[in-house]
Amino acid sequence: MIWLVMIAAGLFTFATRFIMLSNIISNRPPPWLVDALGFVPIAVLTAIIVPAVLIDPASQKIALDDNPRLFAAILAIVTALVTRQVITTIGVGLAALWLLQWAL
Amino acid sequence: MAETSGTFLAPPKALTARAEFWAGVRDETPLMFGVIPFGLVFGVLGVESGLSSLQTILLSSILFGGASQVVFAQLWAAGVPAFIVGGSVCVINMRHLLYSASMAIYLRPLSLRWRILLGYLLTDEAFAVSIRRFQHETPGPFQHFHLLGSGLLLWVGWQISTVFGVVVGETIPESWSLSFAIPLTFIAVVAPILKSRADLAAAVTAGSLAVIGQPLPWNSWLLLAAIGGILAGWLVHQFNQSAGGAA
Repeated sequence: MIWLVMIAAGLFTFATRFIMLSNIISNRPPPWLVDALGFVPIAVLTAIIVPAVLIDPASQKIALDDNPRLFAAILAIVTALVTRQVITTIGVGLAALWLLQWAL
Repeated sequence: MAETSGTFLAPPKALTARAEFWAGVRDETPLMFGVIPFGLVFGVLGVESGLSSLQTILLSSILFGGASQVVFAQLWAAGVPAFIVGGSVCVINMRHLLYSASMAIYLRPLSLRWRILLGYLLTDEAFAVSIRRFQHETPGPFQHFHLLGSGLLLWVGWQISTVFGVVVGETIPESWSLSFAIPLTFIAVVAPILKSRADLAAAVTAGSLAVIGQPLPWNSWLLLAAIGGILAGWLVHQFNQSAGGAA
């Protein structure tokens, strides 16, 4: 079953990359769709980030104080804005998390 | 990022296939500093969330899209029904339509075999560097080799780093919280691209819905948050456009 879903999702993904290069569809997507698709990365990635930061993995509840992940994430956001480097952001964020988990 | 020489000063002589290929590899190289850690993290997460090593590794070539692979692994591990897993992956990967649409005028003349290969290799990062070459540098008969170079480097780097992640992941204790590297990776991608009010609307809406929607069945919060965020961004964008204001 898992293989079936993997392959189906893979075929769909390939189709999104290939279809405009094919002779199946010759028109560009309509402007409203182009505009909407432009927001996909921000919407999807933020939807993954926020629960991973705010929700305590042990209790499955929202944790605002006493949450080392939140502090680490804020530090990572600042790092990302300043350095624009993925590897530095991961490094600072993980180091902050480890330090806070050890200190708290 | 490498400065393009500009269309005015570009020499009229067309580059060879080999030169185009290596230019693609060279232009892609700086982006690998983001891709390789992400591949490692995905490999670790894949096994940690219960996929087999083989499934984790093959996901990197079958889907070949980082965010969608993370979502696939997490949702599948949570026992979510297949249609929600598939639907979420599809929404995430819909954005590639934009890339293939932008590439169409440059790649349409190629043979079907070439278009299939280059379509498969058309990821965010390869698109980003090769579209710049197509749009801003002198057109050449072998320009598609640029995308082959950028795409192949990315593919090879992604596969190798996934395998490394799988191997390492099996030895790393969970107390290291290495799965936290996933949101950190995405923070590194999203924070610098939040520019307009519409971007912020998309992020705030998606983030809020993702938290509020947690009790929903089948982890459908992700799908809900993604669609809600896209809609919010799009609506603010439309409103700004019709109001004539800067987005």
